[in-house]
Amino acid sequence: MTYSSLPFIYIFLPLSLAVYLAVPKKLKDMALYLESLVFCGFMGIKLMAFMVVYCLVNYISGLSVYYIRPKLKSIPLAVGILFDVIMLISFRHSYFAYLHGFTRLSDAVFPVGISLFTLSAIGYLADIYKGHSKADKNFIRFSLYIMMFQRLIMGTIVSYDTYVHTLKKRRINITELGSGFICFIKGLAKKVIIADSLFVLNSAVRSTSIQELSAAGAWLGILAYVLCLYFTLSGFSDMSVGLCRCFGMKFSGSFNYPLFGSKIRVFVSGWHIQVLHWFRKYITSPLSSKTDNPYLSKLVFVMVWMLAGIWYGFSTGGAVWGMLMGIAVLAENKLNNRKRAKPNGIIYSMLSITLMMVFLSQGSISRGLGYLWVMFGGNGNLADSAAAYMLRYYIVILLIAVYASTDLFRNTIARIKDMRFGRIISAATPAVVTAMLIICTSLMAYSGQSDTMIIRL
Amino acid sequence: MKLAEKITALAVMTAITAASAAAVFNGNFFRNMADISSEKLLEGGFADELAEKTADSFPFAKELRAVAAEIGAKAGEPVVNRVYISEDRLLSADEYSLSAADNCTAAVNAFSAGYEGAVYFTAVPTSTGIYGDSLPSYLLPVTEKQLTERIYEGMSSDIRKIDAYTILKNLSENYIYYRSDTKWTSYGAYCVYRTVIQKLGFIPVPYDKYAIRHVTDSYRGNLYNRTGYMESRADILDIYEYDDGTEIISCTGIDSQGVSHEISLYDMEAAESENPYDLYLGEPMEFVEIKTTVNNEKALLVIGDETADCFIPFLTKHYSEIAIASADNFEQVLEKYTDTKKYEQTLFILGMEHIAENYRGE
Repeated sequence: MTYSSLPFIYIFLPLSLAVYLAVPKKLKDMALYLESLVFCGFMGIKLMAFMVVYCLVNYISGLSVYYIRPKLKSIPLAVGILFDVIMLISFRHSYFAYLHGFTRLSDAVFPVGISLFTLSAIGYLADIYKGHSKADKNFIRFSLYIMMFQRLIMGTIVSYDTYVHTLKKRRINITELGSGFICFIKGLAKKVIIADSLFVLNSAVRSTSIQELSAAGAWLGILAYVLCLYFTLSGFSDMSVGLCRCFGMKFSGSFNYPLFGSKIRVFVSGWHIQVLHWFRKYITSPLSSKTDNPYLSKLVFVMVWMLAGIWYGFSTGGAVWGMLMGIAVLAENKLNNRKRAKPNGIIYSMLSITLMMVFLSQGSISRGLGYLWVMFGGNGNLADSAAAYMLRYYIVILLIAVYASTDLFRNTIARIKDMRFGRIISAATPAVVTAMLIICTSLMAYSGQSDTMIIRL
Repeated sequence: MKLAEKITALAVMTAITAASAAAVFNGNFFRNMADISSEKLLEGGFADELAEKTADSFPFAKELRAVAAEIGAKAGEPVVNRVYISEDRLLSADEYSLSAADNCTAAVNAFSAGYEGAVYFTAVPTSTGIYGDSLPSYLLPVTEKQLTERIYEGMSSDIRKIDAYTILKNLSENYIYYRSDTKWTSYGAYCVYRTVIQKLGFIPVPYDKYAIRHVTDSYRGNLYNRTGYMESRADILDIYEYDDGTEIISCTGIDSQGVSHEISLYDMEAAESENPYDLYLGEPMEFVEIKTTVNNEKALLVIGDETADCFIPFLTKHYSEIAIASADNFEQVLEKYTDTKKYEQTLFILGMEHIAENYRGE
């Protein structure tokens, strides 16, 4: 079950919220845990069992790392991390065919969010090992860290201490509920209205053989991919943040308008913030601290970006994208300290990001290079009727997507907040949010859900 | 802003609670849920089916789909639930695979090899096959024309092929396909009948001999049901009557449970039901046997899907006995209900949708 489905919004969410509100405070964690089990159970009893085992292995590893003699700590740490990484690889790629067949429950079962909760689990073990955090003896609370249904699908990654702090400070009232719904429906609209339309456009381009693709078609395809990826990930992130808020927990979002910034660094600082922070905290920083050699530090920086690219794409294309991103950030830091006029900066950064993402979207180096060749007219076909058709029907959604991915709307609202017009907007919020919910519901009324995923993290 | 959030909470909670109560307490909801297999609950796939069932029993589902279709048709690419909304008709944008053609050919060849009489085969295109030229190529990587050619190329030389595609394509200016359905109209079926019946050795009944009755002019077909697009024009269901003195002696259908029913060529009550297309031969049956007063001792076996239903009445003027076996698992159906040696001729009438769906080989 995904958040963007009718059974989730209209059956699971109200019931789980009602149960959660009804139980006394000391049973709230247990209620959340049981609800999360049911949520996983909807995706298959076997998946639910997998999640319980996954939590149990990490729970025991955490306790072992914490309580075992210092000299032996690295053993349970290694076992735990190895288990997490193997599970991640076996679910996301068929390189290890035996493992893949062994752990892959069925085609219908994929623990959406496994890439993110793997990072959470590894971070938890690493923090205990480093002495930054204590192992939690409370299995229910620990399990919720991994599989709480509000965070399971691409929710925010936070350290275990932050998570426990947030749980302790949770507080439900009608204002929080309202702000949770606003955030959830914003994310739902991003996914259902924008990302799904762009997914169709991207699929249309992908279904055309690369030899027959025109340059205009290729540009439309990659633009659709970049925007679709952003709206899918940030949509799920907003839905997760909104759901947590409905249950009284405040987590911050994972995206801060990364596209259309004036530098690649703006992208880096606003894209999947906690994920990139995780890679910096647990891989880049420990490795860089081991060396004083600036070149080696830079190499580490690029390699970790490459790892992040693999994490996203599980492909050579993903690795190349990550590596190029790392190199681009280093180059920008080195060469580009002067301030650039904003329009030029936006063109430069968006162009660079788009070109680099070609590799992530195509999945392999050869396909990526081939696609780039087509984008620059290598097929000798700059535009064709197929591209004109796509442009004609998708120009509106592309423009909406471009606008919504910038901070223009938010800034405008912030500026006029205290003016009379701002009060009108504020008053219109409930109607707008309800209307968005109805539109999203109508778009999901055919199959009952919006389950297209441009990337399965 | 806090007040706005409070009102939002109340508005959203009210909307969600009202919709969920209406969905759950809808009589269909629990019945739909009971259809979900326990295997899916164990292995996965339960959530997908639950979503579908919830959508089916969701309050105002029809109106919500109409809103979605309207948004799709006006704001973006006019493709909704894999249906292309063109100016004058709805067209299915379901993808085909050439392997379906190969599997279909293999099944028909196998039947022909074990059959002593003459086998005739016609593949009937959907409205997309005839009017789908305007669709972008990415939507239909394999066209119905390609699929048809592949079927005919692979078919044994003993089988007589009837090219319905070319006949219908040449008549595309006429009302030969419904605007809101994938299937041909009775007139489309008649146009193909003229050729088919000559191949079968008879002279067709001229068009002007028929009295054509409009049973309903508010028919909304399968493509309308898939989109809910209110602006699509309703269709006309016709029946063709020709009083040449021949009558139907009996018309017996056997359903999938093996229960026998007395049916008629035209079920007039069905025209007012949820499935108006059941007007032709009533509800789907596995096997139908029609006996007529035609005094020529000729018997025809038809193997067909829903597409064949409106075609059968034209044949009743030429045969004393017609048996119709459902194209779904026709080998088993024939084994259960008849002996194919009784029939000198066998006619396959298979719609492209049926071929694509039933022979895709998954």
